[in-house]
Amino acid sequence: MNKKTSLTPYLFLMPALIVIAVFVLYPIGAVVYYSFTQYNIVTPPVWVGLRNYQQLLHDTVFWQALKHSFIYLLVTPILICLSILLAIVVNRKIPGISAFRALYFVPVVSGSIAVGIAWRLMWDRNGLINGLLLSANMIKEPVQWLAEPAYTLPIAMALTVWLGLGYYMMIFLAGLQNIPEELYDAALIDGCNSWQKHWYVSVPGLRPQIAFVAVISSLAALQVFNEIFTLTGGLGGILNSGVTMVFYLWRKAFRLNQAGMASAIAMILLAITLIFSILNMRLLERGTEQE
Amino acid sequence: MNNDQSLIRDRYVSFLRRLVGNILLYSVLLSVAVITVFPFIWILFTSFKGPNDPIVSIPPQLIPHDPTFANYTRVWSQLPIGHFYLNSIAVSFGIVILNTLFSALAAYPLAKMKFRGREAIFYSLLATFIVPPVLTSIPSFILAVKVFHYYDQLLSVIFPYLTGVINIFLLRQAFKSVPDDLIDAGRIDGANELRIWWSILLPVVRPSLATVAIITFVEQWNNFFWPSLMLHTDEHMTLQVGLVALQGAFLNDARGIAAGVVMTIVPMIIFFVALQRQFIQGLTGAVKG
Repeated sequence: MNKKTSLTPYLFLMPALIVIAVFVLYPIGAVVYYSFTQYNIVTPPVWVGLRNYQQLLHDTVFWQALKHSFIYLLVTPILICLSILLAIVVNRKIPGISAFRALYFVPVVSGSIAVGIAWRLMWDRNGLINGLLLSANMIKEPVQWLAEPAYTLPIAMALTVWLGLGYYMMIFLAGLQNIPEELYDAALIDGCNSWQKHWYVSVPGLRPQIAFVAVISSLAALQVFNEIFTLTGGLGGILNSGVTMVFYLWRKAFRLNQAGMASAIAMILLAITLIFSILNMRLLERGTEQE
Repeated sequence: MNNDQSLIRDRYVSFLRRLVGNILLYSVLLSVAVITVFPFIWILFTSFKGPNDPIVSIPPQLIPHDPTFANYTRVWSQLPIGHFYLNSIAVSFGIVILNTLFSALAAYPLAKMKFRGREAIFYSLLATFIVPPVLTSIPSFILAVKVFHYYDQLLSVIFPYLTGVINIFLLRQAFKSVPDDLIDAGRIDGANELRIWWSILLPVVRPSLATVAIITFVEQWNNFFWPSLMLHTDEHMTLQVGLVALQGAFLNDARGIAAGVVMTIVPMIIFFVALQRQFIQGLTGAVKG
């Protein structure tokens, strides 16, 4: 490396670093500061110390949001199981299989807003779901699915799973195709049936992909917003039944103009995300060691 | 004789078994396909339903008896859908081009040059990946209103996305796999670093550039959270933000909303069908990193 190039690397890095400094690094610092202030965005922030955090401790909606976000994490194991099963099903060379794979991928590119709004129509009182269930005589009266607090989160989680299934399936499919055929032959010789062979060969072979999907989908689940927003029409569901951490933060910051309080929620979200990422990293390391 | 018979029987049994297996397999494949595709089909048909076609009935009526474009024309006449399209195209393509360039610029020294702070810069960049975008949205909102004064302008939804750590990471991996000899040959020929980057490295890593471009495009076309905070005038909205506005304006008009959903999704589906392989490899290929 000659000495003339000493400034060059920094010049190459500059555009990207400026963007990240302005839109990521500065905001992190600002959020830390705002979280100790009362700030309505219009008048300058006023220092209030730990008051926002203290208020959050006594805020029942915040605790509800926290609980909902943790419940939402259930989409991760569901997605992992379903997409591995689906990957095993589509991992064979039969006519038409690539068309099926492509069909399963369509929700991934369609965007959660358009799909969420489509789902809202489907689950409406006058929607497809009630029509099907009434015709099959499974219900007698149309159900107000989206007005029923108990159903808000499950429907949103189903939407998340439905949106992500094709993507995670493709990741696991790529993983399956890297598992050497001999391992399956050996399993068959050892007397495994075709389900056992997947349990003893495919699942351990997919460990790196499982770890990756666990990281990505749990980070996404902690940050869910679009699904809740579209299904509840931006309101968060009856009795806050769909309010998650990010939704509550959004409402505080951009509906109620409480930027200080919202920043305190953001700090707690960051702490939870950090803890989760560290736990997931451990998993990821263990996953790659095994390979 | 006996052997022949048992051979035929064995073949017959294995043929039957395979047939049953295949029928089972295809019915599983089909039912998953129905679950993934049916909502789209239902929305598509609903968007063509006339006022006399019920949205829901017993038994459900899928195909409109009285098909009409009226829902589409009604939506077009009330909202500037053309603007939504143009804005989405401008924002997505603008970001794809600039983001890919900026990320590729940053990836080169991180992959191929030795300089002070390289590791520190790289790992700090990587660490920002776990910062939730919603966290940065609060100060970014204040910056947009008070410092950049681009609230409700398209620039506000382009600027924050001019680079991405995942893209830098992917391109760094790609540059790393380019042999040093190639770069040294360029240096001996007297090319400066910018020229080496542009005419030697970029052509070699074209598949990775395509991956990055596709990921960024899908992400930006479907981006909602930040644009919904910034864009408030109808004429300035992107498709996703406009669709939510449409949903608000057509609250009790399922046919109109369905038409809006179809108009939002169709361009992406056409794009996906045309570039299917690149899409799937791009979006999932990023994983192998």
